[in-house]
Amino acid sequence: MRIQVRRTGGFGGIERFAELDTADRADADELQELARQVLAKGHRTPPVGVPDGFSYQITVEGETVYATDPRLSEKESRLVSVVLKEGAKQT
Amino acid sequence: MTEIQPTQFCTIVPPHVLDRLARSQDPALSAPARRTLEADAVQRTRRQLTAVAAPVPAPEATADVDAGADAEGAPECPQRTVHDCRNGTDLPGVVVRAEGDEPVGDATVNRVYSGLGATFELLLKEYGRSSLDGTGLPLNASVHFGDRYGNAFWDGEQMVFGDGDGEIFLDFSIPVDVIAHELAHGLTQHTANLSYYGQPGALNESVSDVMGSLVKQYTLGQSADEADWLIGAGLLAPRVTGVALRSMKAPGTAYDDDVLGRDPQPATMQDYVRTGRDNGGVHINSGIPNHAFYLFATRLGGKAWERAGQVWFDVLTGGELAVDADFARFARLTVSAAAARYGEGAEHEAVVKAWAQVGVETA
Repeated sequence: MRIQVRRTGGFGGIERFAELDTADRADADELQELARQVLAKGHRTPPVGVPDGFSYQITVEGETVYATDPRLSEKESRLVSVVLKEGAKQT
Repeated sequence: MTEIQPTQFCTIVPPHVLDRLARSQDPALSAPARRTLEADAVQRTRRQLTAVAAPVPAPEATADVDAGADAEGAPECPQRTVHDCRNGTDLPGVVVRAEGDEPVGDATVNRVYSGLGATFELLLKEYGRSSLDGTGLPLNASVHFGDRYGNAFWDGEQMVFGDGDGEIFLDFSIPVDVIAHELAHGLTQHTANLSYYGQPGALNESVSDVMGSLVKQYTLGQSADEADWLIGAGLLAPRVTGVALRSMKAPGTAYDDDVLGRDPQPATMQDYVRTGRDNGGVHINSGIPNHAFYLFATRLGGKAWERAGQVWFDVLTGGELAVDADFARFARLTVSAAAARYGEGAEHEAVVKAWAQVGVETA
């Protein structure tokens, strides 16, 4: 399962993009389940954010949900964190 | 910090020091301290009475431009509270320093507390406005938000600061202009309430950068020529090739780094960036009004918060700036504000030239 996260906005306005494929990972099952839950409960359009807050676009197998700081669910927060830290980066 | 004047005791000196000063044999020390203590006591009483009489309504996220500058009885002391999220994301977290408390062991907390005080002081002493809403709105901040969170934001009610990842960003409380920038989002929310997309969004961002830089210059006592006009100096980790996140003096030159990329800010309309990302480039195109303010302030010389800052403040709080104002609309209002306050002299000429240099029409 391919998971992509694009983070925009923030105080610096610096964009970040990263993606990972769960196939390469030992925690594949756990990550896929997390991604499915995020997809099921996520916003289909970008929610209104706050000044300087980050906006996130989370794409799982081509399907996208949106989130904004500071109102990420715990699951969204965990998924975004794993992908941005451990996924392949590209700007 | 600026020189301590009697009327600003409340923003800087803790009550126990005031108590000692009030008992001093030297009337030059004791008199103002005693006045401050008395004024504080009156205000505390008034606040308690208000609290008992009726709950204070939550501030509305709409323009309340009349509530501002000279509201009778508006508090002249800040009401600061700094909370600690302890690296979680529940806001606001636990209170670690409230108004009048001694400094604590955490430098981040103390920096934010001081930064809130400096911003409150500039608004009150230079522009006659009591806090963000003009009626003494308490200033709340949360620090240590999230796990190595590389950002700071205004959530509509308070400021939030992350610790940075240590690799690219350090602690977001380090630059006082970042603290003042976030507070200024609250000022904008309570006045012009500029929307956060496209040109009005870039103006919203720019007003925060202007206030951020002015608070920094005010605390350092710098003239426009002495100031660095950087936003976020000291925020980038040592391995990053850059001096800050933005430069009002030379937009587009703050950083050029392998990981961070290159500062994308334009200085003039010729390089205006059309994008849907970052709310339509609010942190990108803010470089244009930022640079106009820099040109205006340096052409005038002296302290930037005095005349140049006053003109910007007048536009933001004057009631004519629409929520969807574009650069040209904002620019025309600054020209009118300069003429209204200072006549058709140097200030008027300087602001017209500044906008012309960045390619924004004011005629």
